[in-house]
Amino acid sequence: MTPPVPHPLTRRTLLGSALGLGAAAAAGCSPAAQQQRPGDSGAQRTVTVRLWDEQVEAAYRTSFDAFTAANPDIAVRTTLVPFADYFTKLTADVQAGNADDLFWLNGSYIQPYIDNDLLMEIGADFDAQRPGWIEPAVQQYTRDGALWGVPQLTDGGIAMYYNTQLLEAAGVSPAELADLTWVPGGGEGDTFLPVMQRLTVDALGVRANEDGFDGDNPGTWGYSAAQDLQGIYYNFLGSAGGAFQDAEGRFVFDSPEGRDAFGYLVDLINTHRVSPDAANTNDNGDFTRDQFLQGKIAVFQSGIYNLKNVADGADFSWGIVPIPAGPRGRVSVVNNVVVCGNAAAEDADAVTRVLQWLGSPEGATPIGASGAALPAVTDAQPAFEEYWSGQDVDPSLFAEQGRQPSIGAPTGERYGAALTAWKPFFNEMFLGRLPVEEALAQAQQAANEAIEG
Amino acid sequence: MTVPAPSALPAVPSPGRTRRRRHRDAPVAWVLLAPALAGIVAFLALPILVVAWLSLTRWNLLAPPTFVGPDNWVRVLTEPTFGHSMLVTVLFVAMVIPTQTGLGLLMAVLLSRGLPGSAFFRVVYVVPWICAPLALGVVWKWIFAPYGGALNALLGTSVEWLTSPALALPAVAAVSIWSQVGYVTLFFLAGLAAIPGQLLEAAALDGAGAWQTFWRIKLPLLGPTTFFVLVTGVIASFQAFDHIYALTPDGGPQGATDVIAARIYLDAFGSGAFDLGRAAVMALCLFAVLVVVTVLQQRFFARRVTYDLS
Repeated sequence: MTPPVPHPLTRRTLLGSALGLGAAAAAGCSPAAQQQRPGDSGAQRTVTVRLWDEQVEAAYRTSFDAFTAANPDIAVRTTLVPFADYFTKLTADVQAGNADDLFWLNGSYIQPYIDNDLLMEIGADFDAQRPGWIEPAVQQYTRDGALWGVPQLTDGGIAMYYNTQLLEAAGVSPAELADLTWVPGGGEGDTFLPVMQRLTVDALGVRANEDGFDGDNPGTWGYSAAQDLQGIYYNFLGSAGGAFQDAEGRFVFDSPEGRDAFGYLVDLINTHRVSPDAANTNDNGDFTRDQFLQGKIAVFQSGIYNLKNVADGADFSWGIVPIPAGPRGRVSVVNNVVVCGNAAAEDADAVTRVLQWLGSPEGATPIGASGAALPAVTDAQPAFEEYWSGQDVDPSLFAEQGRQPSIGAPTGERYGAALTAWKPFFNEMFLGRLPVEEALAQAQQAANEAIEG
Repeated sequence: MTVPAPSALPAVPSPGRTRRRRHRDAPVAWVLLAPALAGIVAFLALPILVVAWLSLTRWNLLAPPTFVGPDNWVRVLTEPTFGHSMLVTVLFVAMVIPTQTGLGLLMAVLLSRGLPGSAFFRVVYVVPWICAPLALGVVWKWIFAPYGGALNALLGTSVEWLTSPALALPAVAAVSIWSQVGYVTLFFLAGLAAIPGQLLEAAALDGAGAWQTFWRIKLPLLGPTTFFVLVTGVIASFQAFDHIYALTPDGGPQGATDVIAARIYLDAFGSGAFDLGRAAVMALCLFAVLVVVTVLQQRFFARRVTYDLS
């Protein structure tokens, strides 16, 4: 008798195999199956910190090495996310529960995090440290008496970086550059535009104040006018006597002062041709900085946040002078950055200790000592000045400008949506395709609709 | 001894036996189907249901979602933004599909002739398709840059390729065509290789010239390939995002490149807008449009395509 041939694939073997595979997969995915990374210690807790500045991240690593040496039970890891994606990614990660234990926020984006109870309050555990933080930063992030972040960086005010060789070639002295005034519409009393015209040269070597200048064929530009909120247009608006938002957060830039300030900037770009075409700068916030570093722009207006980039990237002699004065003097935007505790962090005790460290002079000094940024912890600021005096650079102008009258930094729960709403109109305005009056009116309406949701 | 004549037809099992066998085999069938079904439910059906639910809520990712009923649908369908984005998308598809399909076919025909260097060009044409789209977008942004850009330097001009409302959409469409044409060429090459040699020999014996052979033999037999390339191309063009976002991140000058997929991203995540409900409505509308377009394409080709190459 022939024995029955076994079926090659019986239900029992198939079901058994599937269960076996499932069990194997489950075992492979289980936490117990995860391999411990080299260097991990079973008792050590890990706190993660997210930020957007590469230079400060390097300083943070020095700071956290010292912290872990003093607190061996806590390791601190940093996560660097480029500024362009920072708030989009942070919001998505907070929602998904993947956000870091600590993260940087600025005045423009912090409000919805406060409103939705996503941040740890900087409460009584920090009372002893609070007097050591610069007061404008504490005020900027305090709501109804509660502080929501530990101040880390302060931008001071805005100033102008200049290229010494290009100034000399145009016969402009730094002293002359340091004492300029802009007047709405240009004309009598305006000393800023004539100097920028002298500094602007076309590809054939004709200066913008000479006959035959061809603005379509640029050689070097005099000035860095662009759609740059912090570096450029907030300061012109402030020095014209205008405001971007009122006390309730509504946008109010469509004003006579706003038309003066934006009209002047648009003319610098499109009429006088002393700045790059907005086609280059509207979508590239680094264009003017990069052109300055390549010796293609004589005067680059920006903040202390670009000091290290300029120092590291410029292979020419450079200096810093104050921004031009407007009808209301020199008015600049002052912004501060805080590090916030994630309310959903599992190890609140470790997070608090790291926050306390970052708010201490010891923790914040590496930021200043590396020259990366001006710390918002008062006792850490001398390290910053020492670093730059060692480099023969005097950054005190930024701090001095920060003590002058300032224009409020942008804020609001739906600030991001408002920015998205007004930017297309600003794009067209800076390109010179939409008249300033129309652009400001439409942009303001769109921004207010967006911020009100 | 009589040998029974072999039956011409296999014995037909009785209905009861078939039912019993089906019943017995059902668990095995379910086990075999389970991984695919789990994938479809988890990665297709469930996300669609979640997006449908999101379209009825207001959600900024930070606060809990709030049910708002049909508000988002009313907003999207009555505001001009959505209609404008759909129009831009249709224009983009109209620029991309005929050009990339025609170019792909032309390149496949040239490559199939076995000319010197064909193997090299086969690889070169596919390189853009296998590269990361966002990285390519960054490179093309530099090429199109009005100041210091490679294209203007080459032409000796200062054209604002990406900031001119008239040029921005053709420019991003050109990049899309450039990146996709190698993929289309590959499929047409495979289709041409599958055409039986005896058909071409018979045509040659009958005196058909190269043009007649292409027009009357090769092109009809490339029907299934053309159908596939058009369906996948139209779907991909309606969903085009990476290049366009990298080249014109804010929807382009005066919304010239504000295609629907980029608009969905901008409303959901761009610059902190976080209007997930509105984005969900547009995503569902895009889904519906794609289903309709695909069904229409299928109906059009159903009577015109032959899969029989014998």
